[in-house]
Amino acid sequence: MRFEVVELGPTAQKVVMIGRLDATTVGMVETPFTATVAASGKSVVLDLTGLEFLSSLGIRLLLSATRVVSRRGGKVVLFGAQPMVAEVLTAMALEQVMPHVGSEADAMALLAA
Amino acid sequence: MLRLEVPVELAALEAAQDRIAAYLAESGVAQASIQRLRLVVEELLANLVMHGRYAIQPPPASRLTVRAGAEGLCLVVEDAAAPFDPRDAVAAAPPGSAEDIRIGGLGLKMVRQMAEIRGYGAGAPGWNRTELWIRDPGEGP
Repeated sequence: MRFEVVELGPTAQKVVMIGRLDATTVGMVETPFTATVAASGKSVVLDLTGLEFLSSLGIRLLLSATRVVSRRGGKVVLFGAQPMVAEVLTAMALEQVMPHVGSEADAMALLAA
Repeated sequence: MLRLEVPVELAALEAAQDRIAAYLAESGVAQASIQRLRLVVEELLANLVMHGRYAIQPPPASRLTVRAGAEGLCLVVEDAAAPFDPRDAVAAAPPGSAEDIRIGGLGLKMVRQMAEIRGYGAGAPGWNRTELWIRDPGEGP
C-alpha cells in the first residue's frame, strides 16, 4: 500500500491510493497519510482508481482523515473506486460524510459546490 | 470444499484470502461473490488477531471451511478465542457528519452487509464455530 500527493492549487490536493488498504497494510500508511492530510489544511480528492481492496480498518483511516479535514473547514471527496471498493463504500452508507463520484472532474466540481 | 488453517497473525490474512479466491474461481463462483467472501474473511480474522483473547499462547490457528454449491457460498470459521457472538454485538450506524463518526463496529457492519450469520456456538471443546452465508451481490441484509 502506498499513496502519492498531487497539489491541485491553493485549496485542494489529490491523494492517489495504490494497493490494498486493509488490516495488514493500514499501519504502513496511517501516520504519513494522516499527517499529509492534516498538515496541508486543504480539501482533498482521493483517487481510488488504484485501490484494489478496502476493509473496515481502511475505512476507519479515511474517516479519521475526513474528520481532520472537516474540522479545518475542508471537504473530502472520493472518486474512481473499482467495483468492489465502490460496493464497500455504498454498503457502509458513508455517502454523506465521504461522497464518492466517478471521475476527478466530478470530484473537483463537488469540492467547489 | 476447501479447508485451511490460518495462523492468528495479520501477515497470514492476504495469503488465506488468495487461497480461497483461487479455489472459488476454479469452482466457477462469480468474482463479485468471491470479493464479498474475501472481505468477510478479512474482517473476521483481523478481529480475531486484534481483539481475540486466547487461553493458549501462541493462539491455535483458526480453521476455515469454504463450500460453494447450488445453495450458495458458505464459510465456517472455527476459533479458539474467548466466545464472541457476532449476532449480538452492536454494529456501527451510518454517520451523519464527520463528527458523528464512530470508529468501532465498522468491521461487524461490513460482515453483516456481505453475509448472513446463520449460526454461532460451541464447536469442539474450547472452540467457537461461526457459520456465514455470503449474500448474493445486490442483496442487502
